[in-house]
Amino acid sequence: MRMSFEEISHTADVKIRVRAPTLEALFSETLKALMQVMYGPNLNGDSLRKIQIESDDYEALLADFLSEVLFISEVESLVFSEASVRIDGYSLNAELTGEPFSLIRHSGGTEVKGISYSGLAIKCEAKGYMLDIIFDV
Amino acid sequence: MLEGVNRIGMHEWEVPVGYVAGMRVPGRFFLSESLGKTLEPGAIQQLANVATLPGILKNSLAMPDIHWGYGFPIGGVAAFSVDDGIISPGGVGFDINCGVRLLATPLLYKDVAGRRDLIDELFRTVPTGVGAKGALKVSPRVLESMMITGARWAVRAGYGNERDLMRCEEEGFMKAADIQAVSAKAKQRGIPQGGTLGSGNHFLEIQIVREIFNPSAAKAFGLALGQVCCMIHCGSRGLGHQVCTDHLKILESATKKYHITIPDRQLACAPITSPEGISYFGAMAAAANYAWANRQMISHTTRQVLSKMFSIEYEDMPLIYDVAHNVAKMEEHIMDGKRMNVCVHRKGATRAFGPGSKDIPPELNSFGQPVIIPGSMGTSSFVLHGTQLAMDRTFGSTCHGAGRIMSRTQAKKDLSGREIMANLLKEGIIVRAHSENAIVDEAPEVYKPSDEVVNVVHEVGISRLVARLAPIGVIKG
Repeated sequence: MRMSFEEISHTADVKIRVRAPTLEALFSETLKALMQVMYGPNLNGDSLRKIQIESDDYEALLADFLSEVLFISEVESLVFSEASVRIDGYSLNAELTGEPFSLIRHSGGTEVKGISYSGLAIKCEAKGYMLDIIFDV
Repeated sequence: MLEGVNRIGMHEWEVPVGYVAGMRVPGRFFLSESLGKTLEPGAIQQLANVATLPGILKNSLAMPDIHWGYGFPIGGVAAFSVDDGIISPGGVGFDINCGVRLLATPLLYKDVAGRRDLIDELFRTVPTGVGAKGALKVSPRVLESMMITGARWAVRAGYGNERDLMRCEEEGFMKAADIQAVSAKAKQRGIPQGGTLGSGNHFLEIQIVREIFNPSAAKAFGLALGQVCCMIHCGSRGLGHQVCTDHLKILESATKKYHITIPDRQLACAPITSPEGISYFGAMAAAANYAWANRQMISHTTRQVLSKMFSIEYEDMPLIYDVAHNVAKMEEHIMDGKRMNVCVHRKGATRAFGPGSKDIPPELNSFGQPVIIPGSMGTSSFVLHGTQLAMDRTFGSTCHGAGRIMSRTQAKKDLSGREIMANLLKEGIIVRAHSENAIVDEAPEVYKPSDEVVNVVHEVGISRLVARLAPIGVIKG
């Protein structure tokens, strides 16, 4: 299974469907989707930022991870393009790469206010993992 | 209309107990037959889910701008008994005290028609869009004041006048604010964003009063035909979003601790009187106050721009009113003939207190509270007044806006930002935004017609029309 994400129709907010061969790839792909929604498609850079999160289950781990990225992105004005994720039980270590926010390159998106738990379920399929997630915009 | 939903009035529908398992009260929503064509099953499911929460009183309610959200539906209203009810961030949303205010001006249409320089200047001076930072340097101490006394802090700091406070819901701040319950992260996000508009559906519009439905109420509110007004729609920015994120996490544990069964994780909640419930309410109130301070600061910038460009006095631009449409409040309501303290959640719904309420400015008391309903970009906005019927039927609540009907994905497929801007310009509406995407996301086509939504609440009688305003200039994030 290849990694992919697509926006699927949701009236009020942004709903994303993500597929990936591993849980780690699923998390990093969801992060990319979040960044694209917020900042448009022009993402790259090589700034490094590390995150460590612990939660009670995989859904909470993902929501907490993305909420932490929203926080860092806003207060440090960083836009991330990639994440290398390690998951051990319900504990996550991620190395994020990105670049400083640029008004010219990163104004193509919309602010995400929060990561919703509504309908969030990580499913294990024959060829990998998938999830639907709603970003409140 | 959807299967399993019963019509009980011209614009009134009931979702019976049993629509989802565990409902404690029926759901009830207000919608016209034609608006019902775009109703999503997901929204009704969410309305029914709210009815399962402990301590819910009378009905899980939704206004005619109902649509599918997360936790509560957008347009959702629910009141809970303070004694045995719950409080839930899912009934408020991430953007705590997202709200709208309307400023009057002494200008007329002829003064501002075609003045692109006005819209350009507002776009230049009011920070908008993703990544925007406020012009004011906010110290941690100032931030605390913003969270404790909201718009009152702003007025005392020189961003308005005392009269503005009389024309804000809660007089510009909730006294229950508890800054200890606001995390360091939330505070960190609040510091650079004071006085910023944000993105998404937030906007600042120059509008003209085009129609008066109730002359005596319009006069008392301060509105006259042909008058130029300014509408500001924004909320508590990253600070409010972080308060919601932090407390959802705390309340998720509390839901388990207090053995509350919920059908959706986004409905995480705790008893109102529990330490977790009290803490969320205190943090939410602090974020709500930050939002009031924020709208007050944006009003100040707007008044300065108008004052300079048109040589008008700052004092000649009074605030008509300021409403919160994403909030939970402790209010007194009459239940079965008895006064009762309840916690009313309004998620995409506006308070609409009727005549005689002690929470309305004395000079407006005989008319009911001014209710401000923003239209979508390019369409009319409305001013209404609250009614006794709203007090009796909806815990003093009405709709909050137009309500989306088209997803962003569909909008991107079907519409072009340039075309929308050109079409709006043909109608005399100038739009400024940071990206074409922001315009497509909020195009008039993606919303229910705002007049149809307000006609429903007017005909039902949970608020009544006072005036219609049409935009001539919009700035967006």
